[in-house]
Amino acid sequence: MLQSHPDGPFVDPAATDVSDTAAALPPRRRGDGWRRAWRSMVRARWPIFALVILGLLVGAAIFGPTISPHDPNRQNIMLRLQPPMVRDSMGHVKFVLGSDGLGRDVLSRLLYGARISLLVGVTAIAIGGSLGVALGLISGYFGGWIDDVIMRLGDIQLAFPFVLMAIMFLVVLGPGVVNLIVVLGIGQWITYARIVRAQTFSLREKEFVEAARALGASHMSIMFVTILPNVIAPLTVIASFNIASVILAEAALSFLGLGVPPSVPTWGSMLAESRDQLIANKWWLAVFPGMAIVLTVLAFNIIGDWLRDFLDPRLKTNG
Amino acid sequence: MRQLKYALIVAGAVSGVPYAVLATPSDDTLVVGLSADIDTLDPGEISSRDASNVAEHIFTTLSSISVDGQVTPRLADTYTVSDDGKSLTYHIPPGHTCQDGETLDAEDVAYSFNRAADPANKFTGNTPGFIFTSIDFKDAIAPDPEHVVINVGIKSSMTPGFLTEVFVHCKDSYEKMSLDDATTHPVASGPYQVVDWTPGSEIVLEKRQDPGNFKTIEYRIIPEASTRTAELLTGNVDIITNVSPDQIGAIDNSNVARVEKVQGTRRMYVGFNQSAMFDSPGAMAIKKADVRRALQYAVDVPTICQQLLSIECERATSLVNPPQGNPDLTPYPYDPAMAEKLLDEAGYPRDADGVRFEMTLQAPRGRYLNDANVALAVGQYLSDIGVATNVELMEWSSVYVPLIRKHEAGPMFFLGSGGGLWSALYDMSDLAAVDSGPNYTDWDDPRWFSRWADIEAAKSPEEERTIINEMLKVFHDDGPWLLMYFQPDFYGVSNRIDWTARRDEVVELFDAKLAAK
Repeated sequence: MLQSHPDGPFVDPAATDVSDTAAALPPRRRGDGWRRAWRSMVRARWPIFALVILGLLVGAAIFGPTISPHDPNRQNIMLRLQPPMVRDSMGHVKFVLGSDGLGRDVLSRLLYGARISLLVGVTAIAIGGSLGVALGLISGYFGGWIDDVIMRLGDIQLAFPFVLMAIMFLVVLGPGVVNLIVVLGIGQWITYARIVRAQTFSLREKEFVEAARALGASHMSIMFVTILPNVIAPLTVIASFNIASVILAEAALSFLGLGVPPSVPTWGSMLAESRDQLIANKWWLAVFPGMAIVLTVLAFNIIGDWLRDFLDPRLKTNG
Repeated sequence: MRQLKYALIVAGAVSGVPYAVLATPSDDTLVVGLSADIDTLDPGEISSRDASNVAEHIFTTLSSISVDGQVTPRLADTYTVSDDGKSLTYHIPPGHTCQDGETLDAEDVAYSFNRAADPANKFTGNTPGFIFTSIDFKDAIAPDPEHVVINVGIKSSMTPGFLTEVFVHCKDSYEKMSLDDATTHPVASGPYQVVDWTPGSEIVLEKRQDPGNFKTIEYRIIPEASTRTAELLTGNVDIITNVSPDQIGAIDNSNVARVEKVQGTRRMYVGFNQSAMFDSPGAMAIKKADVRRALQYAVDVPTICQQLLSIECERATSLVNPPQGNPDLTPYPYDPAMAEKLLDEAGYPRDADGVRFEMTLQAPRGRYLNDANVALAVGQYLSDIGVATNVELMEWSSVYVPLIRKHEAGPMFFLGSGGGLWSALYDMSDLAAVDSGPNYTDWDDPRWFSRWADIEAAKSPEEERTIINEMLKVFHDDGPWLLMYFQPDFYGVSNRIDWTARRDEVVELFDAKLAAK
């Protein structure tokens, strides 16, 4: 039967790992998991750095409209291509990180771009993850021809390079935030489906699943209430890595002009717009959005790396 | 900082160039970097300026347009015009040969014209789609090997000029070729012949007769502006087209190349599409001449030129290149207060949000000089006076061109149309009839279209000029274009080469030569 998880997904070994090693660990008190996670982070140091970066990213996404010094789309072509920290005749710095080819404030566009990157990254993973988890559960639970059909569909999708597939979809559907999120989300489902399927295969014969079946639980209930909580942990690790790759994909598609409309500032489109300016020595147009992408992707990867180690019971002692 | 600059140049080159670093061309080879691929070299299908510039070296023409806009001899040495102005007889001197070894004479010329006009071939290129419809081409006849008669349906002083754009090709070879073969295996009638063509990558021409100072001309397709510049600066390419305005300084300061700046003839405009397919409040508004006139005052064209195109320009007064335009017309000034006043008077006041009406402005990305930024700047200027403008940037060939061809771009759209210096009527022929292909706005003002009959009936150049000026006044006051500028052309030229750019986008390489050392 399903056990409660008062301390979240980090706590109960039975809920996060199906190995016997995990089951042997002693029970913990409420709050132990978070405290252990924090200690682990402090010991590893880098996850703290990643958390700070992600905190800034979330802050920029939430408070961007309030804290950005200018309207990110407001042009002033008389002040185009101003380097960072240039003072005007009154001694004021108008553009802290410089202005772009249309005189728009690079800092304001970076702050708004954080919103898009986070929105696209999280939503696409939510879509892809939900789809993949549902199909993985069905595939692993029922097996047989249902499993064959779902997995072959995944194989077919994996046979196409993802960016090529995304370009094809976006050329047909047209650029736009919603279409971009859908395409990026659909591109991720097979990763989750495969992991959940494998976990479900091993879990469906376990005693607690047998018990649920014996008590008359429906297939839906067994899959989504009994099995699903036990496969969540590895998915959080995968999702954290996946968000990084989705943000990169968004940047790549926006760079190709297939992402969001020009009125929506994104880091990828900022990089694309900087191409012609590189030779003209306007370095700030590429460096700042490039750094934003690198730091964000790095932060998600560090968190993913740490989560993987933290949730792996064999590495727990190393923390 | 200098090290960073060169690191960035190299990074740009490495990321964009598919063929790594190449050797500097040899002394008998000229390398040209083009921004767009060449999709066909069938004379009947050629429609892009880049393809036409390559074809210019492969195929001859009856005559050509000189730098100063005069019709000058090429294959034909003289021509006469019949009394009714509808038959032009060209004399072809003997002594010309085709790449296939056959004689090139009047019969080949007549064949070239009739082949392009043959409906069975379903050609859509510049010759059948623009030239022949503009002059109402009837047929071409070769009464003897040295004379060809071109019959047209419209008497016009610009017919000889139009005919300079029809490529002559060799009958014996083309009669035997399929249309597919003709697309990719051109048989030369001009000074150079194709020896190698890798679509999307390069076309190599080899000289077979004069004129021309280089044995080999290589055209490389390099779509990315910064990659073209990097190739020029590293010495792999001698001439590049469409230099980005923001890269002019880097080239001019390089000591290995320079930028040739010329005032081009391409008319850049924002079209007001009058089509019934657009029925939003904004689309309905721009169907009114007083609204269109108001919007002319909203855009600061000289500042756009100065800041985004790196030139000082005078705003266009019509669709005709100076000095052929109406000298009495003055450009609309940038006067947003006047624009707001006229829109108020036209019945479009600002609402509580400051918006008069919403508008969509569609534009290509990467086709014209800094096109995306120009379109976004226009959108900002219009938004500033309360016309909330959403700019949609589109890929040129597969998305934007089909919309334009079907007259479905808009309600407002940004476009450039190639022009000429030798005749006002040439530039005006974009709007030769309401249903003309290039009338992308579906404009139908009878004060313009009814005057074409008057021009044909004009008894003197002075009378014709008067009518032209009246038509251009209508176009200026109530026309379907938000008047912008004549696009400048920037060519990057290696210091290894002596070459002078023309104003009309014709990249003619016959006179190019190695610079004196």
